[in-house]
Amino acid sequence: MSANNENNDDWADAWVEAPPPSPWQLTGFVEAAYGQFLQSNVVKDGASLNELRARINLDYSHKFFEASGKLDSYYDAVLAKTIFQTRELSISASPFSFVDIKAGRQVLTWGTGDYLFVNDLFAKDWQSFFSGRADEYLKAPSNSLRSNWFYKEVNFTLVWTPEFTPDNYITGERFSFYSPQAQQIVAPANAFTVDKTSQAQWSARLKTRIKAVEFSLYGYRGFWPTPMGSKVQVENQAYFPKLNSWGVSALAPFKGGIVNIEYASYNSIEDTHGNNDRIANGQHRLLIGYEHELAKNFTASMQYYLERTKNYQAWLENSANPEQLVAENRHLLTLRLSYRAQKQTLLYSIFTFYSPSDKDGYIKPSVNYQYNDQWLLSAGANVFFGEQEYSFFGQHQDNSNAWLRARYQY
Amino acid sequence: MTINVSNYMMQTVKSSVQIALSFTLLLVTNFGLHAEELSLDNSNTTNVTNNEVTKTVRDIIDQANLASYYAGNDGSAEARIIIVDENGNRQMRQFTILRKDVQDLGDQNMLVFFSQPSNVKDTVFRVEKQLKGDDNRWLFLPALDLVKRISAGDKRTSFVGSHFYYEDVSGRNPKEDNFTLVSEDKTNYTITAKPKDQNSVEFSSYTVKINKQNFLPTETIYFDQSNQAIRQMTVLQVQDIDGIPTVMKSRITNLSNNSYTEMQFRNVKYNLGLPDNIFSERSMRTPPKAWLE
Repeated sequence: MSANNENNDDWADAWVEAPPPSPWQLTGFVEAAYGQFLQSNVVKDGASLNELRARINLDYSHKFFEASGKLDSYYDAVLAKTIFQTRELSISASPFSFVDIKAGRQVLTWGTGDYLFVNDLFAKDWQSFFSGRADEYLKAPSNSLRSNWFYKEVNFTLVWTPEFTPDNYITGERFSFYSPQAQQIVAPANAFTVDKTSQAQWSARLKTRIKAVEFSLYGYRGFWPTPMGSKVQVENQAYFPKLNSWGVSALAPFKGGIVNIEYASYNSIEDTHGNNDRIANGQHRLLIGYEHELAKNFTASMQYYLERTKNYQAWLENSANPEQLVAENRHLLTLRLSYRAQKQTLLYSIFTFYSPSDKDGYIKPSVNYQYNDQWLLSAGANVFFGEQEYSFFGQHQDNSNAWLRARYQY
Repeated sequence: MTINVSNYMMQTVKSSVQIALSFTLLLVTNFGLHAEELSLDNSNTTNVTNNEVTKTVRDIIDQANLASYYAGNDGSAEARIIIVDENGNRQMRQFTILRKDVQDLGDQNMLVFFSQPSNVKDTVFRVEKQLKGDDNRWLFLPALDLVKRISAGDKRTSFVGSHFYYEDVSGRNPKEDNFTLVSEDKTNYTITAKPKDQNSVEFSSYTVKINKQNFLPTETIYFDQSNQAIRQMTVLQVQDIDGIPTVMKSRITNLSNNSYTEMQFRNVKYNLGLPDNIFSERSMRTPPKAWLE
């Protein structure tokens, strides 16, 4: 290695001879991950994460289309089973100059929040998020048809998901949660049954840019992504009530940083007046954020988020446990600090949620070390705290965990 | 200069070459080099003794800037960087760049498509370089299907973990330095630059050698407050591409520990006639294949 300086030219010249580009590209990684609860928890296993995963990405590029497949196979020791998961299996093409289509299994994202979602109702994987898997796993795939239409500075995106895809929410299989029915923290060994609809969901966004400011208008027609309803007639069976929403966002550079503001109105149309205790009320969701690089390689971002329950009084009057309801205005503050060192190979990050209204929070510290082009080592924790065991983050106190991951990329 | 979207696409299919010539945009290929953005403005000529010299310095700097960052109206190139740390460990990044100048010595648009290593594959970095204000920057993260707006930030932070700073890649605004022509010989001008705002940078001055024939900076050395050389950019290979002298290989060395990054180009093309509208969010999700081959 000491001859690097002198012999640099050898391989540099070799690079000039380009190999013939292949339309096929194979990449992927192998990863081992382990996480453990930091206190006793009512779940079956003391490990929050214990898996060995192999990822295969296979891409094919044709003159008229792109095909992409991303397959995860892993042995999950927490669930004691081998799981195959297709994260992507899609074809993309531009049939006309003004439209791009992507069809198949894919991950979808939009909106301006950081770990907070206002208009993005695409499927998320909260189990992955809570367990310390890589950030990409926070977004769950769905079988969808996305069309992107372009006219001058205007972009219209329409996503059709023929069969509603919910979040991978907390079920008790891996993490415990508070059951309002049982009035305690539970972790049912067999995930509670949820009646899942097979109807379609639609998401739309109209986006444009005026000078440096990006504006978007959003619409959604579908269902709550988590089972926010329960049926009286079928023994409290949980289900996904219908949800429609619309919203707006703006994002712009401001004083050397980026400011974003986003709003959405959630209309829980099976409970428009909010007097059905078994179905979540509609909400106003508002997000304001600002990100700024405070020093070289050191970035801070803050968000204020408000979840205001519609028809709160009606809900309160019809609730079986009014004292445990979330406040009409649920305030949430987040702070992300990240610092990159050693030529950006070492990334320290801490993300904190704190709700002054719920008096609870969630801290996510992590360290990522890219040892070389192949090896990525990561460690971190998910720490929940709160005064009440029924609040949003408070119910997860016993789920607090620390984790390690080692990934080899090829 | 705006092109109707559908129009452009149809024409592209038929003949990209023709369109290319009809645009006035410039592309950048050369930007691999460090940014000796030497430029002057009138205010910093006060300490120069004679007007003729002043004019010369400014001309040299403008021409060097043009040659380094504004070659042709537009351009494309494949690039790779090899990062070698003080222990000899190597990392590599490979990407394709599309660049188009809005105006010579002015604003530019740029797209950087990463292809290797696999953990950055399909990541796209997009910049709108603006001389009168902060650059607009975006990053597309394919795993999340996320286009993330990123703040302009400190331009003297590492570009993808290399010894090249963002400013080395896209060019340092010439108005940020004062320049003095120190000497000249048969082949080179030697110019010293001092930043107007010392607190904004990690060096206290730098000296750049500019080739008299092609006006490419061939070596730049950065000095700290005690006048110790701390960082060096060296051009290792220049090649003529369509009559435009182009830096094909250059290196930035951290002189304190001899770690360095080498940047190499291949498949450099100029004056392709890149349409304005490919410098958009759309291209980040759907790379414009026709221009990337």
